[in-house]
Amino acid sequence: MADAPHNAGYMVAAYVTTALILVAYAFSLYRRTAKR
Amino acid sequence: MTLARKGRWTTLVGLVLLGGVYVRAVVFTPVERLQGPAQKIFYLHVPAAVWTELAMVLVGVASVVFLFLKDPRLDRFAEASAEVGTVFATIVLTTGPIWGKTVWGTWWAWDARLTSTLFLFFLYIGYLLLRGAVVDPGARARYAAVLGICGMALVPFIHLSVYLFRTLHPQPIILKPSAPSLPQSMLVTWLLSFAVFTVLYVGFVIQRYALGRAREEGDRG
Repeated sequence: MADAPHNAGYMVAAYVTTALILVAYAFSLYRRTAKR
Repeated sequence: MTLARKGRWTTLVGLVLLGGVYVRAVVFTPVERLQGPAQKIFYLHVPAAVWTELAMVLVGVASVVFLFLKDPRLDRFAEASAEVGTVFATIVLTTGPIWGKTVWGTWWAWDARLTSTLFLFFLYIGYLLLRGAVVDPGARARYAAVLGICGMALVPFIHLSVYLFRTLHPQPIILKPSAPSLPQSMLVTWLLSFAVFTVLYVGFVIQRYALGRAREEGDRG
């Protein structure tokens, strides 16, 4: 796709942000349930 | 196996599968010609948005039934679904502006879809704050149920807002009366991503439900 915009950085930012949010929440749940 | 452990394993499976979706979306799904690679944000943004809305609908349904049956399990489920919905709403409200910046040229616009989604996020936060603020368990469950039902009533408005108002946000290309207007390869990637977000929702809710139950048992001593 030579004529497509070069904006892969935005895609990477969104993918990294999503992974961070999900992993952080999974870790938070793990910590909270492990205490009980 | 305890409920919390089942939730942990479900979540772990969901996170591993999410890695697979990342690979499929980035490497094996074609780049859209007009929007470029940033269009691939769609595979995360839309499933997260659908589950943000579904989670609130489930909070509302559980709340309605709770007000009739007074079953604490329904209140516990509503609490769990609201917390997970807040997490998915956070994903929607971060990936959306990133996508918007490159495609629309702006991070944010106060159009009906974006504003009502932000309102839903605040409603989620308000729901969780309310639960934290009321000490009496009976009153907490009743007040939260009323707010949960209000949140559920907002969801159809959010979905239809792109039809009711002139919005910068595009109209649905999957969840609409006619067939999805998307090439097969992109549709398959989206469906896989939606399935993974479903697994994550289930895993998170199971863990959060188990946590709520353990806290109640701890409170009872």
